[in-house]
Amino acid sequence: MSILVADGLTHWFGRDVALESIDLALDAGEHMAVLGENGAGKTTLLRILATAARPTSGRLEIMGLDALRERRRLRRKIGFVAHAPGLYPALTAKENLEFFCTLQDVSRARVAETLSLVGLTEVAGRPAGQLSRGMQQRLAIGRAILHDPKLLVLDEPDSSLGTDGPELLAAVMRDRTVVLATHDHALANKLCRRTLVLRHGRSLGTATRLHVVK
Amino acid sequence: MNNTIAIALAVARKDLTSEWRTRELVPALAQFVVLALVIANFGFQIDAHNAPSIAPGVLWLALVFAGLVAFGRAFAAEREQSSLEAMLMTPASPVAIFAGKAIAATLLLVGCEVVLLPALTLFFGTPLTAQIVLAVLLATIGMAAVGCLFAAMVARVRARELLLPLLTLPLFIPFIVAGGQAVQVAMGGSGSSDQAIGLLVDFDILFVVLTSLAARFVLDE
Repeated sequence: MSILVADGLTHWFGRDVALESIDLALDAGEHMAVLGENGAGKTTLLRILATAARPTSGRLEIMGLDALRERRRLRRKIGFVAHAPGLYPALTAKENLEFFCTLQDVSRARVAETLSLVGLTEVAGRPAGQLSRGMQQRLAIGRAILHDPKLLVLDEPDSSLGTDGPELLAAVMRDRTVVLATHDHALANKLCRRTLVLRHGRSLGTATRLHVVK
Repeated sequence: MNNTIAIALAVARKDLTSEWRTRELVPALAQFVVLALVIANFGFQIDAHNAPSIAPGVLWLALVFAGLVAFGRAFAAEREQSSLEAMLMTPASPVAIFAGKAIAATLLLVGCEVVLLPALTLFFGTPLTAQIVLAVLLATIGMAAVGCLFAAMVARVRARELLLPLLTLPLFIPFIVAGGQAVQVAMGGSGSSDQAIGLLVDFDILFVVLTSLAARFVLDE
């Protein structure tokens, strides 16, 4: 059963088309990588799928709900790792997650579990602004899974994660439907069964496992 | 409802904790208001006769401009660190998030007023009465609601430092008029202090309700 259905998603920035008529269907538990050069429209597509942005036209249904009208309801079920970590530098790693527990209306007991999963237990008391870029990215990933979302949208989450990044991503992606944008074809091949290749906002097609489109 | 209050308090606590640890805003604002009073003191040649007519204007000018900085930072910092989107990507009500930001901005400005009011007494001989304190606190609540709403609106605009005063200053006028009257009465001027305080309460209710209704549309897009 499809958990995500996109039909003709199109997005314009002024006179420039960022996405043109993207159709997608993702089954529950499926992992799909979005590939493409810089400016191909990956981030725009992911922001729309995560309900962070509205498309100029097209239809998007996530878990049976109209994603353009039921955004707040859907956000209980979607985790989003954006390009920037978006953390509070003066708060500790633990405090950052505790704050988002309140906003997500989930128990603070999830914090210790999440910090352990993303490998930040030892630096839980350190201000987020003093963490390395990789640690900040781990914290942002932890924040995205705090509420145990069914759909995870990851925009280049592998940047600065370090050598065990793929293992961490595999762990957080387990039992979830995932859309992941990356430049790393090997990572996409390792973590995702399907790929969608974008160029100049247009889909060059989806494929099972990696088909590099030149 | 309980969840909305919990979220608003969590957002306010987060902002106040960040300010306490970084001390970016309040010390600078406190210095600003004291400097404004020093300049006004020299510029106006204050004496016992003209102080009651000049002091209210100086007080509200210092407060309004300190407020503009405080309200502007409330959302500009969130935009700069890309954390506003992370907050809005949760199911939390935008109204609760807005309320939390406005509460924190109000309290930060109150921190600045703790320096401003005694300094006003020092430089202008203004009595530090309960009426003046109440008038300033009431005006701060309404101005924070209006200021934070427009700060949220312009946070994604490049010329936000210019736009924020242009949008908010006209809506601050009711608070300045009623607040100024309360201070003048406390300094021996004519008029009714109760009427001015009553007006400030009315303005607070009006603007808090209106901005709460508008916040959903401003923050959700």
